[in-house]
Amino acid sequence: MTVQSPVHTAPAAAGGGSRPKKSKSWLATVPLLAFVVLVFGVPLVIILGGTFTREGTLSAANVTDSLQGAYLTALLGSVKLSALVAVVGALLGTFLAQAVVTSRFRLLREAVLTASGVLSNFGGIPLAFAWIATLGNSGVVTSALGLDSAGWSLYNFWGLTLVYLYFSIPLMVVVVVPALDGLRPQWREAAQNNGANTWQYWRHVGIPVLTPTLLGGVVLLFGGAFAAYATAAAMVGGTVPLVTLQIANALSGNVLIGHENVALALSLDMIVVAGLVMAVYLPLQRRSARWLR
Amino acid sequence: MAALTPAGPMAPVTPPAIAAGPGGRAGRPRRIRVWRGVVLLVAAVYFLVPLIASFTFTVKDASKGFTLDAYGQILSAEGFGKSLLLSLGLGVATIVVVLLLTLPAMLAVRLSVPKLKPVLEILCTLPLVVPPITFVAGITTILQWGPDHLADTPFFQTIIAAQNPDFPVVLVLAYVILALPFVYRALDAGLGALDARTLVEAARNLGASWPHLLFRVIVPNLRSALASASFLTLALVLGEFTIASLLHYQTFPVWIYTISGSQAQVSVAVSVFSLLITWLLLLVLSSAGARQRSGS
Amino acid sequence: MAALTVATLTAAACGSAPKSDTTTASGGTGPSAATATSAADLGGLDKLVEAAKKEGQLNVITLPPDWANYGEIIQAFTTKYGIKVNSDNPDGSSQDEINAVKTLKGQDRAPDVLDLGAAFALSGAQEGLFANYKVQSWDKIPDGQKDTNGAWFYDYGGYVSIGCDAKKVTTCPATFADLLKPEYKGKVAMNGDPTKSGSAFAGVYAAALANQGSFDDIQPGLDFFKKLKQSGNYNPVESTPATVEKGETPISIDWDYLNASYSKEFAGKGVDWKIAIPTDGKYASYYSQAINKSAPHPAAARLWEEFLYSAEGQNLWLKGYARPVLLPAMQADGTADATLVAQLPQVDGTPTFPTPEQVDKAKAALASGWGAAVSG
Repeated sequence: MTVQSPVHTAPAAAGGGSRPKKSKSWLATVPLLAFVVLVFGVPLVIILGGTFTREGTLSAANVTDSLQGAYLTALLGSVKLSALVAVVGALLGTFLAQAVVTSRFRLLREAVLTASGVLSNFGGIPLAFAWIATLGNSGVVTSALGLDSAGWSLYNFWGLTLVYLYFSIPLMVVVVVPALDGLRPQWREAAQNNGANTWQYWRHVGIPVLTPTLLGGVVLLFGGAFAAYATAAAMVGGTVPLVTLQIANALSGNVLIGHENVALALSLDMIVVAGLVMAVYLPLQRRSARWLR
Repeated sequence: MAALTPAGPMAPVTPPAIAAGPGGRAGRPRRIRVWRGVVLLVAAVYFLVPLIASFTFTVKDASKGFTLDAYGQILSAEGFGKSLLLSLGLGVATIVVVLLLTLPAMLAVRLSVPKLKPVLEILCTLPLVVPPITFVAGITTILQWGPDHLADTPFFQTIIAAQNPDFPVVLVLAYVILALPFVYRALDAGLGALDARTLVEAARNLGASWPHLLFRVIVPNLRSALASASFLTLALVLGEFTIASLLHYQTFPVWIYTISGSQAQVSVAVSVFSLLITWLLLLVLSSAGARQRSGS
Repeated sequence: MAALTVATLTAAACGSAPKSDTTTASGGTGPSAATATSAADLGGLDKLVEAAKKEGQLNVITLPPDWANYGEIIQAFTTKYGIKVNSDNPDGSSQDEINAVKTLKGQDRAPDVLDLGAAFALSGAQEGLFANYKVQSWDKIPDGQKDTNGAWFYDYGGYVSIGCDAKKVTTCPATFADLLKPEYKGKVAMNGDPTKSGSAFAGVYAAALANQGSFDDIQPGLDFFKKLKQSGNYNPVESTPATVEKGETPISIDWDYLNASYSKEFAGKGVDWKIAIPTDGKYASYYSQAINKSAPHPAAARLWEEFLYSAEGQNLWLKGYARPVLLPAMQADGTADATLVAQLPQVDGTPTFPTPEQVDKAKAALASGWGAAVSG
């Protein structure tokens, strides 16, 4: 307790004198909050406005439409896909990150980290084509291994998962490496000194320390997969129901006219789903980080 | 936890053989090395094979066999330098703005207003779930206020200036929002590993002023996280296509998409090429940073 | 300090819109190009050319160079009049064009002329986005293929066709019924999703016509594609030159003018591309031209339209294997290039078109039914 007080009575910022600094430090959050509210919040409000407008009048018809039939299937499909990609990607990404971080070669670490940064943004048509060229019906690997006669098809839910992992795993690597860096060797030594083996070290020290970051990574991967669209559009079209495809078709297509507001309602649904994910994640994260403070 | 961090009194007790990383007793390292090798091998196959498949497509010519024609066409195409410079400029601006906004905020939240953490977390993760197309729909509606409603106010020129094709500030603003989730995660992981509270207390007790604290104490300790965040942002800007294209700007990814036109091999070659360029750029930057670190 | 920088920047960029000055055509008191509804309003085609050359630039949008020979058309326009053409977002959609008109209003980058799907032209005209203009050959455009006031007018069109790589497929399909044969497993693709791509939507409509459907009833088309998917023949990949060359989509349902222009392109790449217009399901559709009401280069925009609707422009579209709207009239008075007409994909009969209401109904049915049909 005595350790805490110096923070509150420490010399304040310029001009503060001996006044407790605590009342002023929240100001540091203001630029960020103001920026987000302005640049993100205002467009969101506009989107909300469009969502609740139908033919010029206030109405919730768009929202109800967006939760029925094909749209509902698409929403659920997206949630399923994103959840799977998030969990699997987080696991595999952590293993890869651990393999890279514990390596002796500095160049390997730099190369993999920068490549991960690049690949986490690799998507859309180039990514689709790369996988079509590899595992498509006439892909390099498909022909080499004779997979097409075995009934293999890349163009379904599982194939899409495989492709989505391509940008999710690198993202997890980038996010988790700083946390893995923070696992100090002294803790490992201390655990070994107390007779723990590798598994016990991880179970009681490593994973609990990493859990907040792991959970955060899962959320990030979920969001990324949830909002991705161009890859699926180029690869599976409408055969895998995804909500982002529906939104893009309505807002930026050559066929549908007048469905923009339903697309905005679908976006609102996406935000609500994200909100639900956050609602589950935040208490989990708080509980896991409690002992770290 | 604070008791574990000082390396001083504990270090001499541990046998020097059990140090960080792979060094150590004979049996364990071999198992670890095998496991690590397997993971790296599987990852290499998974990530490299599709790229190689794309690459082979671009260099195969029905009549000439192996040819690098497609790549030659990229470099000589008009607009390559201009669009690349624009994207780089946008990337640097985005990195600066996003770090300036997030780092002080996250520090403040960690140190003195932990109640704001959920708020910050939600705000910084929300941009992830709004698809860029929807975000742009909102942005364009705002931009349309310019000619429609604000034509007679001073803000008209502001809105137009923000859309200047030579350096669109509106894109920087949008990219900062897009980068927020990633930067937040990276910095959060870094700050978590840092035990900022102790550091700040120690520094303040020794009489450091806030700027000194921020730049000479916190930032150097956050290097890995800051580097992560910067590279993620730069890669994001160099790869972001939807918003730039819907707002009609010729950034590097948009230019790539435009020049490939209908020539199949050139369009695939261009994407492979842009991946390579971005990666090399980041590699150069990161090893320059590393050299600087080890030098100082 | 950051706040100061922001403040100075904002201050530097402040100011209201310059009072709009309609560029008057040469000859002070005449009407300006921005409000001209025909070349005659400006005093003749020559005055229009003068005004356009003074503007010096033209902004076009979503015109891929290999789409109905637009590459050559743009080149010809620039060579003939010395006006620089800025081509924005060549792979964009009709909706993107409408959005661009609205978003870029008042800026120099706004598109001057548009080439849109018919339904989008209709809705854009209803929103008042287009300028009324009648080209010199206005009377030769058949009624029903232009807006009475001149807000939009059909430009070129084509039939739904089946393109096929003869090197990868032994016998190329000639009808929709053929597509269900087991030898085409995993090979039949479209140019995207029918809820997004105009030609894919037309493909579903054509499939409906081939299976006892009608303009009022697109459901047989959805059922056909459901069968196609279940038999494993349907390849959901968006067919592009890259996927065709790779051999992933050796059969592609697309507009006939696009498929036809690919065969020239693919000849040197080891692909032998053949086109067939399915005899059981013939569906044709035209695109429409429109001029942006607040075009930054109004004279150049109108000159562009005059160019497109001259014999030269229409023949250039013909060269791109598209059927220009003035083709019947040009065949009658002999200005159509006979060799170009001969190379059009073979089809017999004249096309009938659905009404806008029938199209809207079909689109709604498609939007709600497509996912269920093909995701099974």
